[in-house]
Amino acid sequence: MNGFFSGAGLRRLRVMTHKELLQLFRDVALMVFFLYAFTGDIYIAASGVSMQLKNAAIATLDADHSLASRELASRFQPPYFQAAGSAGTPQQAIRHLDDGDVMAVLDIPPRFGERLARGEQVAVQLQVDTSNSVLGFLASSYGAQIVGRYGLELAALREGLGSGGASGPVIQADTRIWYNPNQNDAWFMGISELLTVITLFAILLPAAAMVREKERGTIEQLMVTPLSAFQILFPKVIAMTLVILAGTAIALFGVLGPGFDLPMRGSLVLFFLITALYVFTTAGLGLLAATVARNLAQVGMLTVVILMPMLLLSGAWTPIEAMPEWMRILAWISPLHYFLDAAYGILLKGVGMALLWQPVLAMGLFGIVVFGAGMGRFGRQFG
Amino acid sequence: MTAPAIRVEGFTKRYGKRVAADGLALTVQRGEIYGLVGADGAGKSSLMKAVAGVLAFDAGTLEIFGTRVDSARSAEQVKQRIGFLPQGLGLNLYPDLSIDENVDFFGRLRDVPAAELLERKRQLLEMTRLDSFRARPMRQLSGGMKQKLGLVCTLIHEPELVILDEPTTGVDPVSRRDFWAILGKLLEEKGVTALVSTAYLDEADRFHRVSLFHEGKVMGEGTPAELVARVPGTVALFRAEPQAEALPRLKAAFPQTEAMGAWLRVFTEGLDAPHARSAVDKALVGIQPDDWFAREPELEDVFVAMLRQRGAKLESAFPADKRVPAAGTDLAIEARGLTRVFGDFRAADAVSFTVPQGEIFGLLGANGAGKTTVIKMLTGILKPSSGEGRVAGADMRSAGRAIKERIGYMSQAFSLYHDLSVVENIRLYAGIYGLDDARARRRSDWVIGMAGLAGFENDAAGRLPMGLRQRLALGCALVHEPRVLFLDEPTSGVDPIGRRLFWDILFHLSRREGVAILVTTHYMSEAEHCDHLALMYAGRVVADASPEAMKATIAAESGELVELQVDHPVPAQAALRAAGFASATLHGRAVHLLSRDATTDLARLPGLLAEAGVTVQSAALRPLSMEDVFVQRITALEAADRRAA
Repeated sequence: MNGFFSGAGLRRLRVMTHKELLQLFRDVALMVFFLYAFTGDIYIAASGVSMQLKNAAIATLDADHSLASRELASRFQPPYFQAAGSAGTPQQAIRHLDDGDVMAVLDIPPRFGERLARGEQVAVQLQVDTSNSVLGFLASSYGAQIVGRYGLELAALREGLGSGGASGPVIQADTRIWYNPNQNDAWFMGISELLTVITLFAILLPAAAMVREKERGTIEQLMVTPLSAFQILFPKVIAMTLVILAGTAIALFGVLGPGFDLPMRGSLVLFFLITALYVFTTAGLGLLAATVARNLAQVGMLTVVILMPMLLLSGAWTPIEAMPEWMRILAWISPLHYFLDAAYGILLKGVGMALLWQPVLAMGLFGIVVFGAGMGRFGRQFG
Repeated sequence: MTAPAIRVEGFTKRYGKRVAADGLALTVQRGEIYGLVGADGAGKSSLMKAVAGVLAFDAGTLEIFGTRVDSARSAEQVKQRIGFLPQGLGLNLYPDLSIDENVDFFGRLRDVPAAELLERKRQLLEMTRLDSFRARPMRQLSGGMKQKLGLVCTLIHEPELVILDEPTTGVDPVSRRDFWAILGKLLEEKGVTALVSTAYLDEADRFHRVSLFHEGKVMGEGTPAELVARVPGTVALFRAEPQAEALPRLKAAFPQTEAMGAWLRVFTEGLDAPHARSAVDKALVGIQPDDWFAREPELEDVFVAMLRQRGAKLESAFPADKRVPAAGTDLAIEARGLTRVFGDFRAADAVSFTVPQGEIFGLLGANGAGKTTVIKMLTGILKPSSGEGRVAGADMRSAGRAIKERIGYMSQAFSLYHDLSVVENIRLYAGIYGLDDARARRRSDWVIGMAGLAGFENDAAGRLPMGLRQRLALGCALVHEPRVLFLDEPTSGVDPIGRRLFWDILFHLSRREGVAILVTTHYMSEAEHCDHLALMYAGRVVADASPEAMKATIAAESGELVELQVDHPVPAQAALRAAGFASATLHGRAVHLLSRDATTDLARLPGLLAEAGVTVQSAALRPLSMEDVFVQRITALEAADRRAA
């Protein structure tokens, strides 16, 4: 790293960074993908993907045909459920489930209304397709609630307490929703997709740039110049970080802000600084991958191999607390986990550095280790 | 009358706006070995792929064995009669399959009955001497062996026509000769027609007839001898001191003048030998030529003359630079016992040589001989296991960075950034070498002038023609005015005009500016341009002398080169080998051999061959080429290794 701070050293970093930017902007296909990912993809994620139960089709298998059974069936209503007719036989009901026409079947036994009127215990069956476990879980618990509430109301009615239901000695749980008061999925999904896209490009761009030099043989040429390994690798990270920050700005101010009223409560400067740190950290992983890969196709595959576990372990899809012990330990070394904490913290909660110093420190340490490892492997490969 | 094997008329192929082949016409008779000779991008591959039925074309007619090929359906009809070996070493083979499995795969693909497949495989593998490596995976084979295996797989279904696209590119001279010998024999025995392309002009005499390709057009068609006769003239080879003064004077009178090490080589178009002498004397104005030789022109001289007639320019726009070379005999490169060990493999074994400032030094050797390892150690990207060296006045072991600042390096791949423009490439390297803005501008102008890139400044480097791209890469390597220049296989794929301009620049750099130049190559015609050569074999330097001295040694040890024009080359070669001429090789209709007693042999060989039923049409002495030297030396070393093993 001799001469790093001299005029020539800085000039070298500057011309190399300039070169990386020029090459990136001239790769039309990559730029189109990049722009789409930071706009269209995030828009779709924010507006389309929802983890709420909406209009789940439910069929009724009513063997009773009484007033009570019709009353119960009619309580499965939008926005959560959507009646999808009735099934004639249990076989038909199963076939609807198998074909995916309906998500749930409400099975009401014969003499349901009669036994209810006599005050006997009656069971109804709710068959739920839980291939999508989140939605399945929601459907069965909402279903149980609806049935339970109906039961309570009937009981109250029989005891002569009126049809209010809530007037009984029931504890009213009062939930206060913080940070995302409308429980707006768009914010969570939008930010989570943005962070995923940032991660993808932070791995892909430097790795692709590096492996292109390998394929063309220009890396050999750079190795016989007075450039150090650091002066060859670091400009790629600088250039890619700048470009990804620009993409992030487009996504925040062009899509999530105007399109979905994302609040952006905290300091945006802090958010961009932390994003830059995160990109540096992750770019190290990309460069490390490029020392292993021999061509662009392998870079693509390695990117997926690195990205998938990073996403799974980050807590973007499932809360870390729900993971088994060993995965929870792995999650602590996933930089995305820290970035996620910081990004939600700044954008939705408006927290500052005082609360975020821990994830920032962890990301910084991780980045230095990975970048160092990448430089070491690069040096061994070409040294 | 049977239809010719291939008939092409007005063949045109475009890739977007670029015209790859522009109205080509040629006819290949059955049983011929027909050559397509030309540089990269001249249109050879497009034509070959179309003939093989794997490329649609834009205009023209194509007939194979009388069947008109104009659709995928008609192409299918003739495919069973064709074998195609695409360009690139072993690209059509499967790296993880063994030799056996590769051959079996191609045999079954072509529905060869099992019993026949077994017999043909045995025969072909025996002829190509691959039979002792049957179980070896293809990826572990050398370049020459891959190419022979490719040939076997192409021939396994006994096609009537084989199409071989640059089968010898990237293969070292020994394997290349071997390949030609096997191909000649196989084709003769099976009565197969062959369409073969090559980028090496000096391989043209391997063919019965050739087409010379240049920028999508055929410049000439005929037997090699007919083509050479198209532009009559004499090649004069002599020394003249001071060489740097003599060269420009000669160039003014004869554009086709080249410096070959200490020698000058002049093609005097339209003059016979005595007239050539007087014309050269006149052009030299007072400088006396020594060691005069007059020779017949080679195909390359004629090809360049044809291109000149069509307006190609040979003058490089080299800026007049009056700088006097640094006086003295400073050593630019000094290698003493350089050794590099990988595991128990000695990639370089006690390599020693010196290169003074102002010399062009050639490092020759087959792939894997250790050339690249030596260059890597000298340029400071590989640490030697033992030994020492000095490059541009700095110690290799302690001053790696100082060396890197003082040397220029250009690789085979012309390592430019294809998506950056000419100026952006130059400025990038100027920045990397730490030039300030004023000097970067000055050097950028110099490179553009030197390389003839004026008018192309803002074009993407990837769009430039090969010759210009190569000179741009050279310019980038010279941007910081290094005292030592390393060139790794610098001119592969470049057309003859581009190659001449390139060597002109190197000559100027070495003579006028005192730059030391180290070139590695297995392109033997390039070796002739060097002042001094080192030949590497199995990691060692096995010969270290000037090109003439190397040729003289071979002539003294093994004899002079005799060329016999005959009517039946294959039986002639067999008869000569039986008579003890192990060096007898096929060159189209001619046979070459080395003779210790040329006068006697020239007289007695026609009689000897007549007994074998072969008529000798002419017999003459030919000058030894560097390729002859290389093949002779390396074959002897390989034989010694085999005896030792």
